[in-house]
Order: sequence, then structure tokens, then C-alpha cells
Amino acid sequence: MSGADTSLWPFVVYFFAVLALVATMLGLSWLLGQHRANAATNVPFESGALSVGSPQIHMAVEFYLIAIFFVIFDLETVFIFAWAVAFFELGWAGFISISIFILLLGVALVYELRSGALDWGIKTRSGAPTSTLTQEAQK
Amino acid sequence: MNSLSLIPALPLVSAVLLMIGSARLSKRVVAIFGVGSVGLSALIVASVAQDFLTTGEVQTATLWAWISVANFTPGIAFYIDGLTVVMMSVITGVGFLIHLYSVEFMESDESFARYFSYMNLFVAAMLLLVMADNLLLLYLGWEGVGVCSYLLVGFWYRDPNNGAAARKAFVVTRIGDTAMALGLFLLFTELGTLQIQPLMAAANVQWSGGGTLPVLATALLLGGAVGKSAQLPLHTWLPDAMAGPTPVSALIHAATMVTAGVYLIARTHELFLLAPATMQAIAWLGVATVLLAAFAALAQNDIKRILAYSTISQIGYMFLALGVGAFSAGIFHLMTHAFFKALLFLGAGAVIHCLHHEHNIFKMGGLRTRLPVVFASFLIGSAALAALPFTSGFYSKDSILLAAWALPDIGPILWAGGLLGALITAIYSFRLVFIVFFGEANTEPDKQVGWKIAVPLMVLCVLAAFGGWIGQPLSEVFPATADFHNVAHSVEYIGIAIPLIGLLIAYLVFLGGQLSVSKLTDSSLGKALQNFWRDGWRLDALYHNLLVRPFTGLARLCRNEPVDIFYNSIVSFLRWSHRGLVSLQTGELRWYATTMVFGLLLLVAIMLRNAS
Amino acid sequence: MNIDDLQGLLPLLTLAAGATALMLQIAFARNIKLTSFLAVATLLAATLSIVWAGESAPRFVTPLLRADKLALVFSALFCVAGAVTAILSMDYLNNRGDEPEEYFLLLVLSTLGACVLAYASHLASLLLGLELMSVSLYALIAYPDKTKLPLEAAIKYLVLSGAASATMLFGFALLYATTGTLQFSAMAQQLANIDTGNITLLVASVMIVTGLGFKLSLVPFHMWTPDVYDGAPAPVAGYLASVGKAAVFVVLVRWFIASNLFRFSILIDCIALLAILSMLAGNGLALLQTNIKRMLAYSSVAHMGYLVIILVVGSDLAHRPLAIEAGMYYLIAYTATTIAAFGLLTLLSAGKSQKENIQLHDVSGLFWHQPLYACLMLVALLSLAGIPLTAGFVAKFYLISSAVSDGRWILLGSLAIGSSIGIYYYLRVVFYMTRRVEEHKNIPEAAHGLIEKFMTCTLIASILLLGIVPQSLMEYLRSILQLVN
Repeated sequence: MSGADTSLWPFVVYFFAVLALVATMLGLSWLLGQHRANAATNVPFESGALSVGSPQIHMAVEFYLIAIFFVIFDLETVFIFAWAVAFFELGWAGFISISIFILLLGVALVYELRSGALDWGIKTRSGAPTSTLTQEAQK
Repeated sequence: MNSLSLIPALPLVSAVLLMIGSARLSKRVVAIFGVGSVGLSALIVASVAQDFLTTGEVQTATLWAWISVANFTPGIAFYIDGLTVVMMSVITGVGFLIHLYSVEFMESDESFARYFSYMNLFVAAMLLLVMADNLLLLYLGWEGVGVCSYLLVGFWYRDPNNGAAARKAFVVTRIGDTAMALGLFLLFTELGTLQIQPLMAAANVQWSGGGTLPVLATALLLGGAVGKSAQLPLHTWLPDAMAGPTPVSALIHAATMVTAGVYLIARTHELFLLAPATMQAIAWLGVATVLLAAFAALAQNDIKRILAYSTISQIGYMFLALGVGAFSAGIFHLMTHAFFKALLFLGAGAVIHCLHHEHNIFKMGGLRTRLPVVFASFLIGSAALAALPFTSGFYSKDSILLAAWALPDIGPILWAGGLLGALITAIYSFRLVFIVFFGEANTEPDKQVGWKIAVPLMVLCVLAAFGGWIGQPLSEVFPATADFHNVAHSVEYIGIAIPLIGLLIAYLVFLGGQLSVSKLTDSSLGKALQNFWRDGWRLDALYHNLLVRPFTGLARLCRNEPVDIFYNSIVSFLRWSHRGLVSLQTGELRWYATTMVFGLLLLVAIMLRNAS
Repeated sequence: MNIDDLQGLLPLLTLAAGATALMLQIAFARNIKLTSFLAVATLLAATLSIVWAGESAPRFVTPLLRADKLALVFSALFCVAGAVTAILSMDYLNNRGDEPEEYFLLLVLSTLGACVLAYASHLASLLLGLELMSVSLYALIAYPDKTKLPLEAAIKYLVLSGAASATMLFGFALLYATTGTLQFSAMAQQLANIDTGNITLLVASVMIVTGLGFKLSLVPFHMWTPDVYDGAPAPVAGYLASVGKAAVFVVLVRWFIASNLFRFSILIDCIALLAILSMLAGNGLALLQTNIKRMLAYSSVAHMGYLVIILVVGSDLAHRPLAIEAGMYYLIAYTATTIAAFGLLTLLSAGKSQKENIQLHDVSGLFWHQPLYACLMLVALLSLAGIPLTAGFVAKFYLISSAVSDGRWILLGSLAIGSSIGIYYYLRVVFYMTRRVEEHKNIPEAAHGLIEKFMTCTLIASILLLGIVPQSLMEYLRSILQLVN
């Protein structure tokens, strides 16, 4: 128990320090701040200009999709890079391995293309991008 | 998998098939499956028996070990010796005949497939019971036949009375089964195995004769046997069990299942030999049952109830035989009884079948000329039941009585009791024959029996008449019994004469009318006695007053009493904790995450507390 | 990496190749019949390849994976379970329309993850397998994305599972800091020199136990279970409850054995605490549930509680073989039974009515209009309750006898209390199934294909066989576990 005590107490101090800091910040602003409720109290302060419109903008989901694909494929280059650095040491075994790896990446890309993940528009899993116009035409 | 495993497997598979396909199979197919599977089993049994008789070798077959933990390794294994061969032959042979008979008897029943699937299941379970090499598997078969008996007694379940009879059969035998289960536990804890042969060997080594343990263990086993074999005091279920279809009564409640208790005792006879007190109890129980049931049979009017009481009484003889150590005689009587009692039940079934489901014997009469085949079979069956000379029943009953006589001290008393039973047996069996088949016709049969009924009857007639000459390969199984040859001839002559006297009395009273008993029966005492016997010595009422009513009274008394508060509080505690726990399942993600964190904190705290 | 290594990995390779092929097939020729056929074929081929893979076992294929008999047996179990799930899902998905092809792809990938877990002999491969399995499951849970409940379930599972994985990774880091290795057997050598009271190690292991305990839904990490099962499509819930848990448990046991964590008695005590809580709370929660899926979810909490008893018993070296053997048998029996129970829910909700969330009154009278399916449920429930002649009885019997031999009476007491509560809610379903149906009640329309009937019979037969003829499997498990121990 004694060993644990000596190694633990900095953590305990740190923990309470964090608590104290947060409590101080919140408490001070509460103490020093004004307690009035006017019409403009809850309006965000933007250098005197009133903010316009809703902050909840609906971004098209495609942006996220493409960003995620980028992250995934970008990360995969790390492996290819690691292989390239040790190209001669790894020899044919490494070459075959990385070929399979790249092949799999290719298959994934093909799948994404075919299933319409990279197309802009309303998505279905079959990958046939049906725009609102064609949907209406079908009705 | 060898041919041995096929013997119980065939009826089992057929039962399952019939259960699954009950709605789709035609009656013809059902009959082929139901009868054919038992028939095939019977053929295999015949070949096994043939092998056994030529080689005389005990066969064992271990199919697989069910589970194996430490020294507890109950297996699915068979042990085939002379006793098993006899039992298997009776079960599949008589079983096949009864199945064949049922095809005609049940042909107009809407639940034809259900009937055969239960019957096949029963045969499979019964075979398992007799073939098992360990008591656990035997117990499985034991419970299996119990369930099938329940299902078949209550086969026509739309009538609540049948359901009640089925329940009674199940509950009363359950009392015995509980005792038997306790016996198995005791045997396992004391001897460390449930395999029958090693168990008996171990008992012989570890236990001294007449000690407390053997007496206790055998008494518990006896409890099971008494329940299953409908012996005093647990016999009350059998007469009610006649609510089932008649072939069921023939198969289950006459030929096979009710003799399971006899089989159990014979199978574990080495244990019983270590407990002379239990043996003596068996003998006394046997005699008491013989007499009690025989008197009850004398006063019945329902054809099936007469036979039911007669079955109880005959099994009493088997118990008497076991009790005096004449195991082979007991098994011999088991076999002959299976023949003639199955014959009688099937004959009774044929009568009932042809007479618009009439059960009352006084509404029958004069059927001798109208149903000649049935008359012949009844005549032979009754002759064997009454043990008239040279019928099968004569040989088996005679050897039992001689064995009883040969026992020192109590022997003659047992013998006298058995003899009195034999006299009454002869009277009631011929009372039945004379009233049903002679005299004036009261009801006209609306149909004749077909070949499916006639053939089993005829085969059983032959067996009942000449079955006494079938030798049994039991000499290796049981210890040799005392030699009867030095018994005084007079004893034998008395044994032969008694049934004939009984027959004569029955003739004089019920047919010739020379001997009028109306004075006796019309007197108030006679009437009371008759009613008393008809109600089976009022034991049902006694049990009702002695056990059921105090029990329900106690239950009623306890309804709102502390005992219940305890149990109810368990229930309400569980409900309360359920509600408490469920209220934690709020469906909120952050609460779920919070509990996880607290769980982790708890574990970490435990770690920190205990870390060095 | 040589031919023998590849041979040992054959099931994994088959599954991966199958998944790739499925992806290409979906990309170029969307056809549900072909996809489902390919998926089932892949899973069965992987199962068959195990026979061949067994010839090169046991061996380490890289320090990450160990191809031994234990890995192969459980890979086979997971592949078969995956195949059964795929077959049972066909009708279910057909009637829900909306491009169901990816469902099968995800199922194959998830099975691949489960098999990797069975092979894992390194914390890295443990994480890889776990994430591969879980990420596929998130998508599978949310597959019918037209309704709210599956999405809610998937989000809950995703977030909480992420938190659990993070906790576990923190534990890995601490473990690495103490031992300097992530490989199980190498870890054992390091751990042998470490004091049993080492605080970093204890906290690390408890964090990993938390992460894995979340996947096993041990109390108090069980809260997600009912909501996720409830929302997930019935076949996925069955897969999650059986394979999802069995795979995690196998790797947990393997880690405990290989690294000999049994030395740390306080850790074992913590696991015993989790076991007791799970047994009591799981059964208590299931008691009055009317939603069968939720009932099964809580019952799985309880069953996992029973199962981790073997880790506690295993801490005694003398009883370890029996305990581990009992645990492995329990896993197999539990997987078969759970697949069967959820299989019935799948079949019932497969019909055109698209009925989800089968309630007790939905199965009332099932015996009268769907006797075969009712039998499936009956057998599954009896097995879960541990009635003799079913798989569950033998499993529980071995479990109890191992616990008895070690004298763990408190655990046994909780097990007995839990099981007896369990009988109530399992048999309640049976009671409802035998009820007479009222005339005008609309009965959920069930699947009625030949394949479904065949699968039903197979499941019934396998549960009964496991209960009647358990000895050969038991002996096989004993023989392979001797090598593992």
C-alpha cells in the first residue's frame, strides 16, 4: 500500500488541481458576471453585428464520404511506404505481399466506384444515383 | 452400432417419425410403421435369443459414454443375459401381437398415428429399461414408460375422468419413483458406481448381509418397484388406469410395464439377498396383495377392472416368488402371466369392441356362440389364470407355491395365503367366463372380429396354453433355488386340486345355480362386504381421507401462514429486484457509458486497494 | 512465411478471398441469389479447409497468430454459425428488399474477424480481430436503415464499443509498459518475474478485462445488450450473441492461459465478482421480460456470467484442464443454442408482415400452427435452461462439476439461484407456445421454405446430439486442450 501511496499522490494532487481550476473559473465568472436577463443576454456577441441564419448548416454527406475515403486510402500509403523503404530486404515475398495489398485496395476502389459512393446525388446501395428529377419522373 | 442397439432404436425412430408425420401419413402407412418397427425388433430379438441360447454368453454393448466426470461415467450401454433375453422376448413378442391387434381395434380412432407413436415410444422405453447395464439408463427407461403410461391412460383426453386417471397413475407411481431415485443416490454414494454388475459385486464385498445399508437401499428400490408394479399400498392407480384403450391395458398394464418392478428386483437380486428383512417384506407384501386384489376382483362388474385387480394379484405372486428367493419362478410367472393376461385383455377388448364399448359383464352374456374365437381365447386365458393343470399358469404358479412352502418358518403361512389366493382366482376368472359367455344374451354384437384381432388372439392362446413348457435360460443369472423334490406329494396334490375346486364353485354358483349365494350376498353384511370389495377395500377413500385431505387441509391452513410468507417474499423480492434492475435500463447512452465508467472505477479501486 | 504457414491460415485466407470475390460480384453483378450462395459457399469452404489446415497445426504463423487445434475448432464453429445465420437470413432479407447483398459481405467479414480472434496469440491480432468483427457488426446491426430502432442500436453499440476498445487499448499500453511485449507467451515470461501486487499490471489487466467484458456483456458493462439486440435484425442479434461472444471468450481464455494471468489472485477475484453480478443481475433482468429478444439478451448476460466461472476455477492448476474443457464445451453448446433461439425469431419475422420484436403473445399457440418451429424454440429454451438430454444440460453439468471440484461455493450458489430464476422465464415462453390460439388473432407469418425447415431440423438435431452424445466432442476437446495447456 505504501508504494502505491507514494506513486499515487501526484495524481491525486493533479486531479484535485484540475477540479479546483475548473471550479475557480466557473465560480469567478459567476461571481463577477452580471445576473440580468435582457432580451440580448443570450445573443452571441459578434462585434456588435447580429448573427444571421442557423448555424446548423446541412452539408451534403458526400463531403464526409470523400473525406473518409481520403483518410482511409491515405493511411494505406503508410504501408506501401514502409515496404518501399525495405524493398530489397523484403525481396519477392514482400513484392507478392504488397501486390496482394494493392490489389485489395484496387478492389475496394472498384467497389466504391461501382456502388456509387463517389457519385454526387441521392444514394442507394445499388449505386444507381437517382436524382430527385428521375425519382419524380418515375412517379 | 450393432444389432443390439437397433432393438430399442427401431421403435424409437418410428415413434418420432409418427409424431412428426402424424398429420400427413395415411392410416395404412402409420400401421406399417407402428407394427413393422416392433415386428422387426422382435425378429432381431429372436436372433439375439437364438445366439444366446446356443452360446450362452452374456453380451454387452457400450454405445457411448454419456458424460464422464471423475468416477461418474454413466454410459449408454446394454447388458444382455438370460433375464434380459426373456424380458426382451416378452416385450417385443407380445408387444408385436398387441400392436397388430391395435390396428383393427383403433382403426376408427381419429388419433391413430398418435396412438402408435406413443405405443412405439413405450416399447422403446421398456426395452431400454430391461437392456440397460446401469441403473441410470434403467431409470431413464423407467421414467420413459411412466410417461408413456400417462399419455396412453389419458389417451382419450377429452373426457376429464380419463385425464384424472392418467394423473393418478402418474402421481402414485411418482411416490415410488422418488423412493427409487433416493435408492440410486444412496447406492452411488455408498458404492461409487451405478453399473449393475460391478455394483452388485461391490455390494457383496463391502456390505455385510443384514446390515442397515443394504436393507435401506433395497427398501428404497422396493419402493420404486411397488409403485410401478402396483403392489400394496401403491396399487390404487392400476384399476383406474383401465381408462386407456384396451390394448394399452394389455401391453402396459398387464404384460410389460407393471412387471418392471419385478424385473428391477430380479435384476438387482444380489443386493436383495444381502437384506433378508427386505426379502421377507417382499414376500408378505406379495401375499397380502394377492389376497386383497383377488377379493376385490371377485366383486367387480366391469370386465376390465376384474382383469386389473387380477393383474395386481398375479404380480403379487411374482413378488411372493421374489421374496422367497425363487427368482426364476417369479420371472417364469412374469412370462406366462404376460401371455395369458395379454390374451385376456385382448379378448376383453374384442368383446368391448364388438359390443358398442360395453364394460359391464352383466350386460353381456351368451357370447359363446356369437364370438367363438373370443370365447376360446377367454376360456384358455382363464384356465391359465386359474392355473388349471397343464396350462402355462399352472407350472409357474405351482413352482412359486412350492418355493414358498420350502421356506422355513413362515413358508407354510405364505403357501397357505397363496393357495387361498389361487382358489379365489379360479372363482373370479370363471365367474367372468360364465357370466360373459354363457347364459342369456343381453347385448347383440354389432360386428365380428377381423383377422388382425383373431391372429394375435390365437397365437396368444397357444402361448397361454403351452407356454409352461418354454424353458428359461435363467440358471446362470440367479442362484440355484432349494430343491423341491423332497416336498411331500400331498402339497403338490393340494396345489393341483385347489384351482379345480375353485372352478367347481364358480360353476355351481354362476352357471349351474345349484349353490345359491344370494342369501349370503343379500344379507346386509354380505352386501356391505361386496361393496367394500368392489371399491377395492375402500383404499382409495382411505388414502383420500388419510393423505389427500390432511394434505389439502394443511395446504389450506398454510395458505396465509408464515410458510407462505417466506415463499411469497422470495417472489416479491425477485419481482422487486427485477423492477429495480429494469429501471436502470433507461435507454440513454450517457447513462450506459456512466455505468461502464463506474464499473471500471470500481475494479480499479479494488486493484488499488489490494496492490502492494 | 512458407507453405505450411499458409496451410495453417487456410480458413482465414478462404474467408478473405471469399470476401473479396463477394465485393467484386456485388460491384459488377448485383444478384441476391448469387451473393447469398457465394457467401454460404465461402463459409462452408472455410469450414472444410480446416480439415486440411489441421495437418500443419500447431504452429505459430508469425508471432501474431497461432494455428492450433483450438483455433481451428472454433474457426469451424464460427464459420458454420456464420453459414447458418446466412441461410436463415435469406428469407428475412428478401422480404425487406433494398439491396441486401452487402449484408452477406459484412457477415463473411465479421466471421473473418471472429476467426482471427480464435487464432490470436498477440494483443495486436486480438485488437485486429475484435475490430474487424465489431465494425462489420455495427453495419450489420444498422442494416435495415429505414427504421429508427436499428440505427439507434447501432449508434449505441458503436459509441460504447468504441469507449470499451479505448479502455482496452489503454490497458494494452500499460501492459506493454510493464512487460515490454504484446505477445502472449512472451508476456508470460515477463509476468513470471513480476510481483503479483504490481499496480500497473493489475490496472492494465483490469482495463483489458473491462474492454473484453463489455463485448461479453458482463455486469456492469452489460447495459447496451438489450437495446442492441432489440434493435438489431434477429439474425444479426443471434450472430452477435453467439459468435460475437464466443470469439471474445476464446481469446480471453487463451490470453489467460498463455500469459498465466491466473497467478494474480486479486484479478481472479474481480472476475468472480463480475461473474456473480452477471448471473444474478442477468437473470433478474430477464425475469419478467415480455419481449423475447430482450429476454434472450439478458439471459445471454447470465450465461456469460456462468461461463467466466471457468476462469476463476482455472486459477487452480489442478482443476484447470477440466475447467477449460468445460468452458469450451459450454461455448459450443451455447453457440448452437443461441443461434437456434434467435433462428426462430428470424423465421417468425421473416414473413411479409416484417414483424420485428417478437413478444410473448406473438408466440402464443405456436405449437398448434408451426409445430416444427415451436419444437426448435422448445429445444433451444430447454437447452438454455439446462434440462437433461440437451446440450445445455451437459455444458452446465461440466461447468458445475468443475466448480464443485474446486470448491467455489459462492459462485455455485449464485449459479444455482440464477439458473432457478432462469427456468421461470424460459418455461414461460414454452407455456405461451402451448396456449390455444384465439380465433381472430393474427399470427405472425413465418418463413416456410424447404431450406428453413431443413435448417430447423439440423439445429434441433445438433442440440439434442450435443446433449445425448457429448462424449466424443468432449474427448476431442480434452485432447486438443492438453496441447494448449
